[in-house]
Amino acid sequence: MTIINIRKIGENIINAFKYLEGYYTLLCYSVRNIPLLRSAPIRSVLHKQLYFTGIEALSKVAAIGILIGIVIITQIVNLVGSNAVLTGKILIWTVVRELGPLLAAIIIIARSGTAISSELGSMKVNRETDSLRIMGINPVDYLIVPRVAGITVSVFILAFYFQVMAIAGGLAFTSIFLDLSFSQHLKGIFSALKLFEVLVSLLKSLVFGLLISIVSCYQGFSVEASITEIPQAATRAVMQSLFLVFIFDGIITVISFV
Amino acid sequence: MIRLENIATEHFHALSFEIKRGSECKIITRSEYENRKLLNVIVGLERPASGRVFLLDKETYALSEKDSCRLFSRIGVVLKDGGLISNLKVWENIVLPVSYHTGKKPEDLEAKVKQRFNEAGIDVPYLKELIGRLPGPLPVHEKRLIGLIRAMLMEPELMIYDSLFEGLSPDMSDRLMQMTMNFHAEKQGRTSVYITFDEQSIKNVRADIILRI
Repeated sequence: MTIINIRKIGENIINAFKYLEGYYTLLCYSVRNIPLLRSAPIRSVLHKQLYFTGIEALSKVAAIGILIGIVIITQIVNLVGSNAVLTGKILIWTVVRELGPLLAAIIIIARSGTAISSELGSMKVNRETDSLRIMGINPVDYLIVPRVAGITVSVFILAFYFQVMAIAGGLAFTSIFLDLSFSQHLKGIFSALKLFEVLVSLLKSLVFGLLISIVSCYQGFSVEASITEIPQAATRAVMQSLFLVFIFDGIITVISFV
Repeated sequence: MIRLENIATEHFHALSFEIKRGSECKIITRSEYENRKLLNVIVGLERPASGRVFLLDKETYALSEKDSCRLFSRIGVVLKDGGLISNLKVWENIVLPVSYHTGKKPEDLEAKVKQRFNEAGIDVPYLKELIGRLPGPLPVHEKRLIGLIRAMLMEPELMIYDSLFEGLSPDMSDRLMQMTMNFHAEKQGRTSVYITFDEQSIKNVRADIILRI
């Protein structure tokens, strides 16, 4: 008996490559078929997705953003004292470069990734995708393309919104409770903020949005006939989204800042 | 209109038949399971091990995804459970295929939908309430009626009814039967196919051909 099961590891690696191939195919299909959003019923699915993933998450993202901003700025002030330039620099490094896109993505994975994979999975089990097919509607065009667009746009906007709220929350906290000058801190932040950093942050949000949407839709659609597959697909969607988001975060950070 | 050539699956062996354009046909299977399997083969959901299926002179399983969608936009299929999309309200379900395939605005379809519900004996106040609901909790006869009206709006050349009258009250069954027979007569050359395992439920349906499978 061996402790490391080579066969199992091999199977997992093969499965991982199969998933990656499926994700890549679905991504290419979705991007190629973006013009389908001109069709009114598909646009209606997009609007619903923007509402559920984007608008409904605004208050939660704002609350978490403000809290994270307060926590980070408190730690920074503890570390460097009332040095506005250094405080601004560290805040930008942590919130804009890293935490903004990453935490927004994690919130969306927890809120919408599971919801989408479960919804699509139950539609497969209830044969609603078959029903679309016999109405002459391609289920991938109708269900996946608008969801990919909706989630990607939502993550993109929410990540930016998260960063604004975190910085605003941090600044408000320091000026009210820590007796540090608001204007000096603001100046410090603007002096540290560079267009390149904002662009990298936006690129990360875009990539994370695509990853979350593709993985969640793919896993939801992979459900075949049994209702017990739905929670398994939801779990896979969450874990694989998280994993890919962290991997791509590392890759983009290394390429951009090293 | 429908042609099956030497279809072989787990349940069917060398199954062949042809239903001509303009005819009304009953297909009676031995069990509910076979009923579903046959329907799946006909509507392109389950590729048979061998044999060919032709719908409107097109070989179903040889078509590309795009051509298959185009073909099924000309065919109406009313499923036993209505085949409704659970996250769309009744009204959105009804207008989905028409607005998807023709780009028609939902408001342009209101009069036609009202007329169809009226034929089924549903009055305007109840209809107004019904169209705003999600389909999940609706009784099965309402789901089937909604599926039927949704298919009728597409004005298809071929209509396939899957166990449409099974388990319905005699009154509801008669009304739906009248609707399907009137719909068949509305357009010359329209073909209607009733598939069921419960022969009794379609005994009053007028038919040129009866196939027992």
